[in-house]
Amino acid sequence: METFEWGWLIVLYLFFGGVGAGAYFVSGLAIYLGDGNTYRTIARWGAYLAPFPIIVGSGILIFDLFRPWNFYRLFLTIQPTSPMSIGSWILMAFSGASVINALLWIPADTQERFFSQKRLKRWKGHFEWLWAPKTQERLRRAFGVLGFPLSVAVALYTGILLGAIPARPFWNTPMLAQLFLFSGISTGTAAVIVLTSFTRKHALTGDQDAKLLYTMDILLICLEILIIVPFLLHAYLATASIKDSLHLILGGPYTLLFWGVVVLGGLLIPLLVEIYEIYPMLFKKHMHHSRALEVASGILVLVGGLTLRYVFVFGGQVSSFDPKVAILGLGMP
Amino acid sequence: MRQTNGQAKKRYAMVVELKKCFNCKGCVVACRAENQVPLPISRNWIEESGLRGRYPFLGMTFEPAACNHCEDPPCERVCPTGATYRSPDGIVLVDNRKCIGCKYCILACPYDARSVNHRDRVIEKCTFCLHRLPDGRDPACVETCMGHARHFGDILDPNSEVARLVAQKDPFVKKKEAGTKPSFYYVY
Repeated sequence: METFEWGWLIVLYLFFGGVGAGAYFVSGLAIYLGDGNTYRTIARWGAYLAPFPIIVGSGILIFDLFRPWNFYRLFLTIQPTSPMSIGSWILMAFSGASVINALLWIPADTQERFFSQKRLKRWKGHFEWLWAPKTQERLRRAFGVLGFPLSVAVALYTGILLGAIPARPFWNTPMLAQLFLFSGISTGTAAVIVLTSFTRKHALTGDQDAKLLYTMDILLICLEILIIVPFLLHAYLATASIKDSLHLILGGPYTLLFWGVVVLGGLLIPLLVEIYEIYPMLFKKHMHHSRALEVASGILVLVGGLTLRYVFVFGGQVSSFDPKVAILGLGMP
Repeated sequence: MRQTNGQAKKRYAMVVELKKCFNCKGCVVACRAENQVPLPISRNWIEESGLRGRYPFLGMTFEPAACNHCEDPPCERVCPTGATYRSPDGIVLVDNRKCIGCKYCILACPYDARSVNHRDRVIEKCTFCLHRLPDGRDPACVETCMGHARHFGDILDPNSEVARLVAQKDPFVKKKEAGTKPSFYYVY
C-alpha cells in the first residue's frame, strides 16, 4: 500500500480499548478475590477508570470514519464474518456494562445526596433499593464478574480486527489476538497501578493491593513475552510473504521502536522494576515502597502498549502478499 | 446476495491477452472519463513485469489490473455493515447507503483495488461498468482497448469469448494463494 489508510487515531483507539478492557478486568478480579474489605481501592478505581478510555476510543473510531453519518448502520446488522461488526456489538455491551459498573461504585451517600436534589426528589423512591448496602454490593459483584468475558472479548477483538486480514501478512497470524489481549489487560492494569499509587496511604492493605496488581502485571508481561517469541518463530518459519513482513521489525523501519520501546522499555524494564518492588514480600510483609518506581513502571507499560499498537497498525499496512513491497521497506508515515 | 455455484445464471469475467497489451494506458483514461474518477486515485492500472531475459533477447509484459471481482472477496467478508456485496452475476459492489467509510475493505483487499474518493466521500472501485451492461455494452476499458487485449463477458456461457479463451489457453489469476477465486484472468 502506498498510503496508510489507518492512522494514529486507530492506534489510539486500539490502545484505549485495551486500557479500558484491562481496567474493567482488574476491577472485576479485585472484587471477585476480595472478601469485602480487601482490594477495594483497586476495584473502585478500576471501575471508575474503565468507561472513559472506551468512550473516548469509540468517539475516535466514529470520528475516523470518512462517512461517519452512516455509523448507525453498524447496529442495524450483524455480519458474522466481519470482526468489526462483532466488535462493535461487543464494544456497545462493554460500554454499557462499564458505565453501570462505574456508577455502582459511587458511594451510597453520594448517590443519596444526588437524588435528594429538588428536581430529582420524586425519583428518589424508585432508586432507594439501589443504595441499600447489600444490594449495591451484590450488583457490584455481579457487574464485576460480568466484566471478565466482556473485557477479554474487547481486548481480544482489537487483535482479531487486524489478524483477520490475510492480505496483510504481518497481521495475519493467530498470535496477534492473544498478544493484543495480554497487552491490553496489562496496560489497563498499569493504568490502575498509576491511578491507585496516589490513593495508597495504608501500609497493610496498600501492600496487598500492590501485590495483586504487580502479580497480575508481571504475569501478563511474561505472557506477552511468551507470545512474542512464538510470533517471531512462527513468522520466520512461515511462507515467504509472512517471513518477509518480519523484516519490518528485524532490520526494517520499525526495528528500534519494536525492540527498544516495546520489548525493552515496555516489557523488560517494567518487569524488572516490578519484580524488584515486590520480591521483599517473599520474606517479609512489606514491599519496596516507591511511588516514583510504581508510576514509572506503570507509565512504561502504557507507553510500550501504545507503541506496540503503533508498530503493528503502521507496519502491517506496509506488509503485503507481494514480498517486493516489504523488502523495499516503504518508510514510516 | 452471494449465490452458490450452479444457481448463478451469469458470472461476468474479464480476460486479458497479455501479448496484445502494449501499455498505452487507454483503459486507465477511459475508465477515469467514464466513471468520473478524480485524481490521484484510479480504478484500474497497469503493472509492468520489468525487463526479462538477456540482451539481445529481452521481453516485458504489461498486466492491466483492477478489482478482480473475486468469488470469495475478502472485502465483502470484513465489511461490518454489509455495504460490500456480490451481485448475482458476480460483480463486487459497494452500497453507499450502507458504507460507513471504515476502510477495512481497503486493507483487506490483496490487490489494493480499492481507494478512498475524497471528492465524493465514497469507496472507489471497479464496477465492470455496471451502468453500461443493461444496454449490452462492454465496460469502457474493454471498448477502448486498441490492441483488443481485453475481453469481457459471461464466463458461464460456453459460447462467450471469455469462456472460449479461458478454455483454450492457459489462464492464470493474480495472487491465487490468497484463495479469493478472481474473475479476472490473464492469458498469453
